[in-house]
Amino acid sequence: MPHLKASFAKYQNDPKVLFVLVSIDEDMKRLNRYLNEMKFPFPVVRLSSDDAQSVMGIDNTPSTFYIGSDGIVRYMVVGGESHGDSPQRVSWYIDQLKSGK
Amino acid sequence: MKRLVIGLCVLMPLAASAQTPAREQLARGQTLWDQRLSKSAIAALEAATRDAETAAAAHEALGRLYTYKGWLQDNVIPGWHDEPSVRAKALAELKAAVAVDPNRASAQEALRAAEGYAAAEAVDPAPTRPEIRALDAKLQSYATQRDAPVAEVLDALDARAKAQADPSPFFTAAQILIDRGEYDRALSIAERAAQVSDRFIDENLSAYMLPGKSAGSYARGRSQAADLTGWALFFKQDYARATAKLEEAERLSQGADFANQFHLGELARTQKAPQQAREHYLNALSLQGGPAPLRQRATEALKALQADAAGGFDAWLDAELTRRREDRRASALKSLIDRPLPKLALTTVDGKPYDASGLRGKVLLLNFFASW
Repeated sequence: MPHLKASFAKYQNDPKVLFVLVSIDEDMKRLNRYLNEMKFPFPVVRLSSDDAQSVMGIDNTPSTFYIGSDGIVRYMVVGGESHGDSPQRVSWYIDQLKSGK
Repeated sequence: MKRLVIGLCVLMPLAASAQTPAREQLARGQTLWDQRLSKSAIAALEAATRDAETAAAAHEALGRLYTYKGWLQDNVIPGWHDEPSVRAKALAELKAAVAVDPNRASAQEALRAAEGYAAAEAVDPAPTRPEIRALDAKLQSYATQRDAPVAEVLDALDARAKAQADPSPFFTAAQILIDRGEYDRALSIAERAAQVSDRFIDENLSAYMLPGKSAGSYARGRSQAADLTGWALFFKQDYARATAKLEEAERLSQGADFANQFHLGELARTQKAPQQAREHYLNALSLQGGPAPLRQRATEALKALQADAAGGFDAWLDAELTRRREDRRASALKSLIDRPLPKLALTTVDGKPYDASGLRGKVLLLNFFASW
């Protein structure tokens, strides 16, 4: 998760790019403690874990979806990436989508 | 009325004892198929084909069943799809029915219908123009003519590229040049391939119908170009850039390209990373495609890495490949890739409804996580 904070630095002033974290936690106390500790600079929302499984097909966390400005899901990274999570990877996906291709 | 009698036969085996076993199987098969219980219906009908008395009717029933499965069942039941693999069986069964009883009008009629479907299927909607095929063959011939001058290969590429602007000859030429050790030339052709691919899609955007399809084609072209670039860099022993390019190709192809996985395997092996090499070779072999000699090389490389597999190498390989294919099938079924993001009942952290309209029209990273 720290790599998302680092990646976001590049886009924080870009009105065309949004980062949103979706928590599927059931234990609110624990979630709030985590959020206080991490202090994410982008919105954090919640979805029930049942919906995450049935609507998004999520069977592992973290699962990251990259969605184009046309609302179409383009990339999905489930779990850690095979070559390691890094801000460069995240930027690559975002820049790919910003180029419209 | 007829159906009622058949139903009774199934429900009351004693009443059916007046019939021959073959007639019983035929009736049972037809009833089971009326209920769309295919596996049992096929078994019963196949049994009925073995008796001369019921053979024609049973072959016809099987032919009709396979015709339905092959061409007609798409979405009749939610989630069902046509099964192209049984189309040949449909024709064979109906021909068998007519062979057994040439006067059987219903079988002839069913055969004509199935042949009609098959003929419509066989129409190639976009046959490649003969001159393009000839230029492709000319270029491809340099894959084996190792002593022909490089200039000839480049001329063949130019001629083909002028005739039709798609990127495929650039991919072919880059691979041929890599095989000849002409890495720098291969690199510049792979770079052009990426540009040519983008341009070709831009020019024909409307042909792709859906944004997801054109996006997929852009990604395929770029992936193939990145893979060939990485592969040429691998031979130049520029491993850092080779890694970056081959991994870029892997992301663009979603890890589903045989050549790219094989190349990543070779790279990892050279870099003394046997675990990674093993994964890439296994991924490669679990995918369709790839020329037989390369598949053979991947298998041998794996054998060297996994010499001590418990229960023998072949059994181990078989189990690994089956597992990978099943995983991929399962994830493809539920994958959202190239589909619109579904509506989600999001709430804020303190439980109030979250207005998602602000997410529209932006490039969005959506990360699902849990703090546990």
